[in-house]
Amino acid sequence: MSDGDFLRVTDVSKWYGDERVLHDVSFEMDRGDVTVLIGPSGSGKSTMLRCVNRLAEAQEGSIRLDGEEVLSPDLDVDELRREVGMVFQGFNLFAHLTAVGNVALGPRRVLGLSEADARERAEEQLDRVGLADQLDSYPAELSGGQQQRVGIARALAMEPKLMLFDEPTSALDPELIGEVLEAMHGLVDEGMTMLVVTHEMSFAREVADEVVFLDEGHVVERGPPDQLFERPEKERTGRFLERIASHD
Amino acid sequence: MSAAGTLALAAVESFGATGPSLPAGPLLAATAESVGAGPAFIGEGPAFIGEGADWEFVFRNADYLGVGALLTIGLTVASILLGFLVGFPAGAVEVYGDGYLKRAVNVAGIVLRGTPIVVILIVMYFVVGVPQINLGVVSISSAMTAGILGLGLRSAAYQSQIFRATLSSVDAGQLEAGRSIGLSRFEAVRYVVVPQALRRSIPGFQNEFTIVLKDTSIVFAIGLAELLTRGYDLFSEQTTAVLEVILFISAIYFVLTFTTNRALDYLGRHYAIPEGESA
Repeated sequence: MSDGDFLRVTDVSKWYGDERVLHDVSFEMDRGDVTVLIGPSGSGKSTMLRCVNRLAEAQEGSIRLDGEEVLSPDLDVDELRREVGMVFQGFNLFAHLTAVGNVALGPRRVLGLSEADARERAEEQLDRVGLADQLDSYPAELSGGQQQRVGIARALAMEPKLMLFDEPTSALDPELIGEVLEAMHGLVDEGMTMLVVTHEMSFAREVADEVVFLDEGHVVERGPPDQLFERPEKERTGRFLERIASHD
Repeated sequence: MSAAGTLALAAVESFGATGPSLPAGPLLAATAESVGAGPAFIGEGPAFIGEGADWEFVFRNADYLGVGALLTIGLTVASILLGFLVGFPAGAVEVYGDGYLKRAVNVAGIVLRGTPIVVILIVMYFVVGVPQINLGVVSISSAMTAGILGLGLRSAAYQSQIFRATLSSVDAGQLEAGRSIGLSRFEAVRYVVVPQALRRSIPGFQNEFTIVLKDTSIVFAIGLAELLTRGYDLFSEQTTAVLEVILFISAIYFVLTFTTNRALDYLGRHYAIPEGESA
C-alpha cells in the first residue's frame, strides 16, 4: 500500500449547508499510482475529487500534495490547478474554440507560450489521444468520445503531475466508452498519477493500485482491486458491487 | 363620413387622378394607404404625388437634411460606443461582481432605465452643464456632448442588461473548465465566457442600435437639429411638402437601420460557432 508521500488526504470533511457530504475521508497515493474512487451516486466521490483541485472547498482536514497543503488559505489555487489536470463528466470543452484552440489555451494564456509553440504542443497532445485528424473541428462537430479525448488532451497540455477524472465516461453512449478508456490506459502505461471517479469496474480492476469505496461520505473500505472486488470485507461494499455487476 | 374617411377618399381620388409622372412608383400603394391612416396635419394637402407633389422642394433642401443625417449618425455611433464601453463592464459587474460596486451599478441602471430620455438630456445639458470639448481638429459643442452622454449612458444601462443576460447564459461548466487549467477568474471570463457571450449578444445589440438611432431625434430638446428636427423645420416652412419630407427622412432612417442590421447579421454568421450533426 502507498505510504502517501505524493498525495495524502487526511480526515477531509465537507458540508453543503447543514448537510455533511464528506466524513473524515482519508487515503494516500504515491507518484505513479492510480486510485479509483467508487460508490453509489451521492456518495461524495466527485466532491472529494473536486476538493483536491479546490473546485470544491473542504472545511476540515488536510490534503497534502507533493508536500504542500492544498487546503491552506494562502495557497495560490491557479498555481495548484496548473499542476493538477481535470477531466469532466460533461467534457466542458470551450464551445467557441476548435480542438486545437481548446488544448492550446492553457499553454498560451497560463504558461505564456507563443502562439506557435502553444499550437505545436496542442497538436502533440491531440495526437497522443488519437485525434490528429480532428485538429480544427469544433466541439459540436465531434462525437462524445472525441470530445472527451480533447478534454484529456487539454488537461495533459499543462503537463500536470496529477490527473483527476470525474466520471469521464458516464455521459457517453456505450459504444464510445472504449476509446476514452483506451486513452486513459495509455496514460497509465506512461506512469501518470491518476485519481479517477468511475463506474467502470473493469477499468478499476485492470489498472487501479487502490480502490476506495465511498458511501454517504464515508470511506467504507479500501484496498487493492483484487481484494476489494473478490473479497470485500464490508457487507455494504459487497452489496454495491453486486448491484453494479448486475448492470454490466 | 368621419374625417379620416374623407381624408382616405381624397387620397384615393388624388391617387387615381395622377399620371405616371411620379418617380416614386413602387411607393404608390403604400403611401395611399398611409395617408388614410395618417395624422390630421397631412389633411392640408395630400398632394405628395402628382401635380401638387413637391419633391423638388425636398431635393433642393437635401443638403440641409444631409447635415442632419450626419449629426444623427454621429450621435448614434458615439452613443452606442459609449454605451458599449460602459455597458459591457457594467453587465459583467452585475454577473460577477459583489458588494457595493455591484449595488451601485445596479441602482444606476435602474435609475437610467426608469427615467425618460428627455429628462436625462435636460439634466445633462441644463443641470450638469457639460462643457464644450475641444479635440484640436474638431470641437464638440456642449449640447452635442450632453446629447452623447445622455443617449450613451442610457444605452449603457440597456446594453448592460443584454450582456448580463448573455454572460449568465454561458454554461457554468465553461468557467469551471477554464479555472481547472489554471486561468484566473478574470482570465477565464475573458477568454472563455466573453467570446461566447458576445456572439449571443448580437441580436439584442441589433435592437439597441435601432432604438438609439431613432431616439437621437430627442436631442431637439437641447437645441440640436438632427435629421428629424430639420425635417420638421422644413415642412413647417413649406406646408405643401409635409409628406414628401417625412417620406424622404423615413427612407434615410430605413437605409441606416437596414444596412447596420445586415452588417450585424453578417458579423453573427461570420463568428457563429459551427455545429455538427453529432453532439
